[in-house]
Amino acid sequence: MRNATGQTAQGVAVKAAQSIGLRRFFTIDQSTQFVAWAQSSLGRLVIGLVAFAAAEPHFGIWAAAIAIIAAIAATANSDWRNPALFSATWATAFIGTATGDNDTLDNIVAVVAKENLGDFPSVLVAISFLLLLAVATGITLQWVRRAPESFLARRPLVSMLALEGLLCVIGSVNLIHGLPRAILWSAIFVLTPYLWFIPYAIVDQRIKSPGPMMLQMGVLRPFWSPSYLSFNKGAAFLRKHLAQTPVDLAITQLKAIKLLLWANVLFAIRDGLGWLFEAQLPIPSVEQAIDGFLTGSPYPRLTVWTALMVSTARFSLQIAIWAHLFVGIARLAGYRLPRGSWRPLESRTLMDYFNRFHYYFKEFLVDFFFIPTFFRMFRGHPHARMFFATFMAAGVGNALWHFVRDIDLVATQGLIPTLDSYASYAFYTLLLAIGVGLSQVRVSMGIKPSATLIGRLYSFFFVWSFVVCMHVFSDGSRNHTLYERLSFMANQFGVF
Amino acid sequence: MDENSKQKLRDFMKETLEQHSDHQSFSDDESLFSSGRLDSFSMMNLVMFLEEAFSLDFSDFDFDVALVDSVNALEKLLDSKLAF
Repeated sequence: MRNATGQTAQGVAVKAAQSIGLRRFFTIDQSTQFVAWAQSSLGRLVIGLVAFAAAEPHFGIWAAAIAIIAAIAATANSDWRNPALFSATWATAFIGTATGDNDTLDNIVAVVAKENLGDFPSVLVAISFLLLLAVATGITLQWVRRAPESFLARRPLVSMLALEGLLCVIGSVNLIHGLPRAILWSAIFVLTPYLWFIPYAIVDQRIKSPGPMMLQMGVLRPFWSPSYLSFNKGAAFLRKHLAQTPVDLAITQLKAIKLLLWANVLFAIRDGLGWLFEAQLPIPSVEQAIDGFLTGSPYPRLTVWTALMVSTARFSLQIAIWAHLFVGIARLAGYRLPRGSWRPLESRTLMDYFNRFHYYFKEFLVDFFFIPTFFRMFRGHPHARMFFATFMAAGVGNALWHFVRDIDLVATQGLIPTLDSYASYAFYTLLLAIGVGLSQVRVSMGIKPSATLIGRLYSFFFVWSFVVCMHVFSDGSRNHTLYERLSFMANQFGVF
Repeated sequence: MDENSKQKLRDFMKETLEQHSDHQSFSDDESLFSSGRLDSFSMMNLVMFLEEAFSLDFSDFDFDVALVDSVNALEKLLDSKLAF
């Protein structure tokens, strides 16, 4: 078989094998031999197998198999693309829900236990609501195309949040109990993972030539990112990034392999840090360090600072690992997506950090919180305008997203206790918003970080000191109050 | 749009790219935002630049990234909006 450049698969494979080496591996997507080899049948098979080996430890066998087969099938024939994406996305959703591979079923089971409903058919209810969600979303997207000036089309996020909020309020007040409450919360748990994807899909219906409905539905929480956050924005963003030629596709897939393997390297480093500091050295977790302080037997300050730095590093690595896996598989399907995490250690400002550390989360916040605020508020005051829009994104949007992600706590613990235990994370988003907002204003005023070595070192220490200190409030656990965390941090700085 | 104004746009985009450590050249019809070379915050800085330098009022129309995605797109936008 001959590829687009007319070389035989065997010939290019031999040349590729001769030229392989670690240094060359980092530039395989720039090597004409490898790019030619990647277009051959053998090359595509090897790419698929390597991708499966890289994804399987994180996705599990069936989800990785579906993802890799669908990604390869989508690129094999343009007519197969949309059916492959659609089938894989919804197969992953239904199988994951039925087998309890995602949070939905666990959350339903927790509410069922709270309501003492022993024989509640959790799987059947979850699958039924997922089917209803798929059909309702498809109908809604079709309707939005015909009604682009409707409130839902113009304010999709507000509409979705209003729906979620209304359902949660009904589920939280003392009006319904037992079976009706379990059914209502089941619906909420099925809807919530899609809450931030649907607005992107609705926005896509308003563009001049929205893609086919099968593509829109095929990338609604797509199989490559079973997350609450979209790592590819909407279908329009994907279409813009689709590789257009066989050479582009081969380069994109080689970049995919590099990213997937890099995710595994980062995974090993993350685990290595845990093994070294928490298993071999007497470095506690952040939770243990706070507990030690609260019980009157605090760890030495240097030990606690080390614990904070290790925990921050491991958290940052985890974000990068998931981002690389998701983007890697999307690239395997032919989408030349930007990376989700890009050299955060080189961040020069807090804004730069936010952009590099979690690109798609930042993009989501910008698309749905920053831009709407920016075009409406403080139009005559550039600095206030920039600060407030940044504040709405990094603060309000960030806090809302994380609160909704943990919506199951409202069902099992009640609204007030959930809000109470959220105070620490809300405080973190407030400080982050102020920090990022001021950083943005400084940049917009033309104040740039120094490019000298000393300047770069200063930027590094400033940004990462801020991130490490904030990690005390953002670590995600709800075991300690805001006051306890503030006291702990004050003690770290020798205040008391 | 005269060549001076178009050059101002090119200079702004070049400076913004350099702030992102991107020193590669770009053509007038190259997508800078949808390609991922520039991010959304850069887009808002561009919006403020257009408001200040060209007195463009974005409240007049629905904002879309395609309107500001390249130097040529910006030229088209400014020509259409400033003609009134």
